[in-house]
Amino acid sequence: MIRRILDFVLVLLFVWTCMILGLWFINEIIVPLEIPWIKNHAIIAIIKLMTSGGLAFLWLWLWREIIKRMFWHTLKTHKKYVKKAESEKSDKN
Amino acid sequence: MINELITLIVGFAASFLSMPLVMKFMKKKGIVGVDMHKKNKPVIPEMGGVAVIIGIVASVATASVLIPEKNRLLLSFLASALIAGVVGAVDDLRPLSARVKPLLTLFSGMPILMLCTYDPRGPIFPIIGRTRLTIIYPILIIVALAVTSNAVNMLDPFNGTMSGTCTVIAATLLISSLILGRNDGMLLSLCMLGPLLVLYLFNRYPAKVFSGDVGSLSIGAALGAIAILGHLEAVAIVAFAPQIMNGFYGLSTMGRLYERREAARPVVLLDDERLMATSDPEAPLTLARIILARGPLYEYEAARIIIILSIISGILAIFTAYLIKVTT
Repeated sequence: MIRRILDFVLVLLFVWTCMILGLWFINEIIVPLEIPWIKNHAIIAIIKLMTSGGLAFLWLWLWREIIKRMFWHTLKTHKKYVKKAESEKSDKN
Repeated sequence: MINELITLIVGFAASFLSMPLVMKFMKKKGIVGVDMHKKNKPVIPEMGGVAVIIGIVASVATASVLIPEKNRLLLSFLASALIAGVVGAVDDLRPLSARVKPLLTLFSGMPILMLCTYDPRGPIFPIIGRTRLTIIYPILIIVALAVTSNAVNMLDPFNGTMSGTCTVIAATLLISSLILGRNDGMLLSLCMLGPLLVLYLFNRYPAKVFSGDVGSLSIGAALGAIAILGHLEAVAIVAFAPQIMNGFYGLSTMGRLYERREAARPVVLLDDERLMATSDPEAPLTLARIILARGPLYEYEAARIIIILSIISGILAIFTAYLIKVTT
């Protein structure tokens, strides 16, 4: 039971830390960003928005990939349960 | 403080007394569901969430009498929960499609906007402080309540998981309100806590009642409303982590909004009444399925793990509240 909880706690801590660091990065680095060769404020705002959005998507993608790999890897290593259940099902039929 | 405690007691008593009546009524009307994770497939009364709504109405009414200066806040909170509850009741009686239900829950955020009970300056996050989301914030409120209500609705795989995790969230919001000195958040959390405790008592393994969508959608919207009205947005995001994880994994693997009844079952019941994660690639990747990937478990064990995860998220959320207090 502890291993099952630990898997999620690690993912949770990763997601939480990324969220806090991401917020700090957006607030401290991206929002005050000045691009001297672009004079149009709207374009600068769009660049900032797209960079922040890109970071958020990268965070979500990483989160999804970690969980997907974790699930299929764990399922493969515990395949004996799956096989047992499948044979139980076929016996029934 | 005594007034707040009275609202907690009234909410608990109203839900506790009405729950057996609601169960009897639902059974009489044939509004029942089959407990799929038991071998003997018992028939359980549905829509126990109606008793939760009765409890919320009672506690909010008591609070509005005892603390009349909070009437606007209480009204917007209650209206948000009731709108989501009506959507849930319609879905329980006549199932809505996977797209229509989330769209209808968008309306649950409207009372907060119409009564202007939110802080227009935007949410506060740890380290960065108050954000400058003045224009987009009202839109986020509407989306946030739809997200919380549907995320709570999605994390209801085993007996007692929805009611247990939501009780933990309400307690987390209450403790965070006390840390941050948010009186509105404290009052609304206490209004929710009593009815949620009653639902957990009746819904825990082996369940005597199912909350139905009327319960899960109204509870999700009410908790989302507490986060907005109590300025506890960042805390709520962390406290809702198991629900967000479950919803996100399911949606990202399916690639679309889906209803549980139309997707392949992520969990199968073994002959010894244990539950096992399916290896079907078409089934959504849910929190329950990931927990069961390490091997089969009895339903009460899997439910306990989800509630423990919610408690850990709650501790992290309280730490987030502490971070907000010391860094902003």
